[in-house]
Amino acid sequence: MTWEYLIWFAGAATLCWVAGAVMALRGQRVGVTAVMSAVGSAIFFSFIVGMWLSLERPPLRTMGETRLWYSFFLSVAGVTVYARWRYKWILSFSTLMSVVFICINLLKPEIHSKSLMPTLQSVWFVPHVIVYMFAYAMMGAVTLFAIYLWVRSARVEPQGEELGVCDNLVRIGWAFLTLGMVMGALWAKQAWGDYWTWDPKETWAAATWLGYLLYLHLRQQTRDYNLLFALLIFNFLMLQMCWWGINFLPAAQGVSVHTY
Amino acid sequence: MTLQWGYKRAFWRCVLLMVVGAALQMTLGDFDNKFLRYPWGLIFAINYLYLLLLIYVQGAKWKWLQQLSDGYAMISSLASLMVLTIIFGLTRQDPSTTGVIGALGFSRMTSSWVFILVLFYFTTTLGVTVIRDLHHFRKVRLAASLSHVVVFVCLTAAMFGSADKERVTVSLALDRMTYMGQTRDGEAYELPFALTLREFKMEEYPAKLYILDTQTENSSQEFLLAESEGAEAQVGEWQLKAKHIVDMAIRMPESAEWREMHHVGAAPAVKVEAVNKATGARFEGWVSCGSHIMEPAYLWLGERYAVAMPRREAKRYLSRLEIMDDKGEQWRENIEVNKPARIGAWRIYQVGYDTQRGRWSTSSVVECVRDGWWGVVQVALWLMLAAAGVMFLTAGGRRIAKKSKEVKQ
Repeated sequence: MTWEYLIWFAGAATLCWVAGAVMALRGQRVGVTAVMSAVGSAIFFSFIVGMWLSLERPPLRTMGETRLWYSFFLSVAGVTVYARWRYKWILSFSTLMSVVFICINLLKPEIHSKSLMPTLQSVWFVPHVIVYMFAYAMMGAVTLFAIYLWVRSARVEPQGEELGVCDNLVRIGWAFLTLGMVMGALWAKQAWGDYWTWDPKETWAAATWLGYLLYLHLRQQTRDYNLLFALLIFNFLMLQMCWWGINFLPAAQGVSVHTY
Repeated sequence: MTLQWGYKRAFWRCVLLMVVGAALQMTLGDFDNKFLRYPWGLIFAINYLYLLLLIYVQGAKWKWLQQLSDGYAMISSLASLMVLTIIFGLTRQDPSTTGVIGALGFSRMTSSWVFILVLFYFTTTLGVTVIRDLHHFRKVRLAASLSHVVVFVCLTAAMFGSADKERVTVSLALDRMTYMGQTRDGEAYELPFALTLREFKMEEYPAKLYILDTQTENSSQEFLLAESEGAEAQVGEWQLKAKHIVDMAIRMPESAEWREMHHVGAAPAVKVEAVNKATGARFEGWVSCGSHIMEPAYLWLGERYAVAMPRREAKRYLSRLEIMDDKGEQWRENIEVNKPARIGAWRIYQVGYDTQRGRWSTSSVVECVRDGWWGVVQVALWLMLAAAGVMFLTAGGRRIAKKSKEVKQ
């Protein structure tokens, strides 16, 4: 499997996801709709597995490779949330975001090397990155929903149930951020001798984690949705800084051990 | 948005704490954690826990004590810590003390009084919340309560155990016993055990061949991975083919030929055929990255471009160590990246080697790390994994959604 096949697998997956999203909006049966979207995710996952086999290592190292997982997990998160809470709009959101990241990979392909440096050869590598990608996907979904609710608030006030959706997504996303951070800490102890070294990536991961934690606590104390939505968007910006922003941040140049 | 009085008071408390921190930073300089060295760190930690218990118990009587750990205090301390962490992330960490950032200690954030006081305040509000959670335990709050406990344990262990961490870098030369190392502050440190490097081994990834523009010194983005003989790749307008691959080769004197030889300093070499797709021009010759005794070899493609091989990337490297503890007991261990050796509270990590000599390195750099509190932190981290799992499984959100509805009404 090579990157040239991405367009075909992604194309087939997108067709299924779009069909699932349309079916959900039209209010068709939940089971059939979820299966349609899940088939799209399965097709996309088969590309990832193919890359894994041909690279002889998990495709989790480069930005392009992590974007593959991001697209995949966005679709999985969409199907899971739809099947569990039956939000009709979620499949449209998850499809849109998955496709955006696929397009970035198609338009800006990177040179993907086969080698994996010794530090990355650990049992923690795969779960650490995968749970982070899943968390990022959930936070991406909640950010989009928050923007939608905020823009709409000029006409319709956000309902309690809709804010409840934000809470659910943040709780799941935060749980996965925690999993990723703790796995990273256990791995860091094994690789570098310390579980926390305030490396720029770690510092921004901590800031993001605190930001979402602040949302979860603030949510129980305030009904000011302007403040809550602003915080969600701000947190997502911090998450971007943690994910790729530090590669361009002057304060982090040449000091992060998280550069691969 | 009008801020409630509770928030105003709580945020002012944080601002005051930061001002006090800044004043201490300017008068006393960086926070020095040496006073927390064993056993004092442990003694302070036990007293701190007792103090938290007192705050919780006396909170019923004294309102101001209660305010140290109410919802407002939690939000304000969490927000303050987040802001300082963002400043931390935006500030380059170096020893400079110049400028406002340097004077406030933000360029050495972990030693900054402002950061430490806010972190301490946050941990205190969290600690009292933990006691409250345990005192009034409710099953529905299992995930939150568990998260509170483990985050509190991690922060407490990290703060009170920070002075007990030792990181000692040791440079080992082949067959020479060493028990002295250097701390990060550059001080000599005598280890309670001695290390001898008996062997250094390294595996490398297959060679990658790039086309180098010798005028701009830029190399091509694409490359030929010389994984097996016959491997081909299109690099720019050139079709490269690896005709013969030798893992350990020596260039023959006065000749462009490379021959297989297992000898110290031998380098990988690839015989390459390059064909220009546009002009049909064809070149063939040996390419090697060289070694500490061999010059690299290039295949010239006319006057400007050449096929070049950078040093191969390390796949894994290990040091075979002989360890002797203070009782005179001896044993052997292999250490490599991600696989440290363990001696009591110490762990020995593979850090580096002589990169000039690569796989022929006769030295190895290891780091010996001691963290007496790691056991506590490790348990807390595993519990945190469990807490996150519980949070994911219980994120049904019906309760919060219902609550929001009630609030709206």
